[in-house]
Amino acid sequence: MYRTAAKRLLGGGGAFTATRLLRFPKLRSTIIPSYYTSGLCTSSVGGNAESPMGGNQSVNPNQSGHTASSSSTSTGEGPRRDESRKPRAEFQEEQARVLSASLRHVPRLGWTEEAMMAGSRDVGVSPSIVGSFSRKEAALVEFFMDECLQLLMDKIDSGLDLQNLIPSARIAKLIRIRLEMQLPYMSKWPQALSIQAHPLNVATSFKQRAMLVDEVWHAVGDGASDLDWYVKRTILGGVYSTTEIYMLTDDSLEHRDTWAFLDDRVKDAFDLKKSIQEAKYFAQDIGAGVGKSVQGLMNGVMQTMSRRSGGSTF
Amino acid sequence: MALRSVSRRLGSRILNHRSFVASLHSHATSFGFQEVKEEDKSKLVGNVFTNVASSYDIMNDVMSGGLHRLWKERLVGKLSPFAGMKHLDVAGGTGDVAFRIYDSIYSVKRRALQKVDEASLEETQIYVCDINPNMLNVGKQRAAERGLRDNKSLVWVEGNAEALSFDDNSMDGYTIAFGIRNVTHIEKALAEAYRVLKRGGRFLCLELSHVDIPIFKNLYDLYSFQVIPNLGELIAGDRESYQYLVESVRRFPPQEKFASMIADAGFEKVEYENLVGGVVAIHSGIKL
Repeated sequence: MYRTAAKRLLGGGGAFTATRLLRFPKLRSTIIPSYYTSGLCTSSVGGNAESPMGGNQSVNPNQSGHTASSSSTSTGEGPRRDESRKPRAEFQEEQARVLSASLRHVPRLGWTEEAMMAGSRDVGVSPSIVGSFSRKEAALVEFFMDECLQLLMDKIDSGLDLQNLIPSARIAKLIRIRLEMQLPYMSKWPQALSIQAHPLNVATSFKQRAMLVDEVWHAVGDGASDLDWYVKRTILGGVYSTTEIYMLTDDSLEHRDTWAFLDDRVKDAFDLKKSIQEAKYFAQDIGAGVGKSVQGLMNGVMQTMSRRSGGSTF
Repeated sequence: MALRSVSRRLGSRILNHRSFVASLHSHATSFGFQEVKEEDKSKLVGNVFTNVASSYDIMNDVMSGGLHRLWKERLVGKLSPFAGMKHLDVAGGTGDVAFRIYDSIYSVKRRALQKVDEASLEETQIYVCDINPNMLNVGKQRAAERGLRDNKSLVWVEGNAEALSFDDNSMDGYTIAFGIRNVTHIEKALAEAYRVLKRGGRFLCLELSHVDIPIFKNLYDLYSFQVIPNLGELIAGDRESYQYLVESVRRFPPQEKFASMIADAGFEKVEYENLVGGVVAIHSGIKL
């Protein structure tokens, strides 16, 4: 997907940042929350396909979103197209600003509308604006996830000392950095997880986690693009999730137990890889051995038959 | 529904705006499918309302099959009212939308689920604005029946949607349900809505709109033009008024056009949602 695919397409060379900029400008610019684009309108300009009973319209002159719409957008006809880009960006910026201010209230009020309303008051906007966020609490959680990912990418870019470490240690370090970003919200993190698990929100949260995992593997220096790629990301996703959940109930000093748990899991994952490798060779050997004996048997049978038929007189 | 607000507008116009109107250049406007002068429109519409006023509550239920209640519920759901908000419901008349907003904020279940600050609950103000004092009186009466007669949160104000008496940047929310169709200058009403809303405030409009789905459109037209005027004659004793009603729905701008008018007034994130395939649409926008 994302970055490894981009590298493949662009010849695998080029600077780290250049690749990213070319392919995913949106990740670099002001935080445009993914939940916004994934949750809202389709981009059928001028086309009205109506659907009955509570269906929605969408006319979106701007480039954007994917998937099914829960509401529709119309910001005017052709000549207004340029102007309409600015107002929509303004709403996104406003939304980002409100959500960013809301994070400060989360440890006290949880991932709720109250926190967002408090945030909006901090920014100087009427709390009504919260009513217009799609999937309200999910918007806040997804914003936070995006922000953490952005922070992680920035940290990686600004030079982490990864070269001197073996891959498993690199992975452990990156995951640790990412999980530490959640520490201030630890008391309310279970709520965030339950919001992410909600059927409406699963798609977006899954995508965000996939991006995170992809980011980590890329930083570790993995360039694989075959079936191995999916396996690697799935395993790392599992390691990350289990560590995250373990951290919820960890009371040790500076979360020492969590980091030990993390190291163990990463080690297991790499051991698993080795075990799978060994199992593959073992199977090949057996296959070769069995193949030889079957071949021998077949040869014997063929010879017998040809001798027999050659020898017979019709 | 809509007819009500026009009668209110008529009353106020004749009393207060006669001289003002006379000094304006006389534009033509639509009265159903007829073209009439602006001054005449209010008179004609006024006649409509005088005729139907007494039985339109029943007519609302009969015409929409009781669905208008669901539509208003959806409108309030979209608004997401919160404790401490200052809300303005224009053409609110008998308070359908206002009562729903009130219940939504003060419901015990909601207060139990969320940490609601009791002090902010006190600050909630729901203004119901209407051009016709009689309708406001009916609303006050319904409030009294619910035990809200002396409740400070509900404020009944007489006013014109095109010239509101509220301060700039004073409202968190603005709703208008089945009222904007009868405003003579829709742009003025939208501009006023923009003026009174705070930064971040939301504009929501529930209105009868256009249906485009092929077969359903034909059924809807059939129902509108054949059934409704007959129902009007049967129940309210007035065919012409309901003929006006269904014609005025057709003359109102379609969803896209109305959305662009809202955007022109300065609102952002302008969206609309069709209910029942377009029979009713909820337009929304935010002031930023």
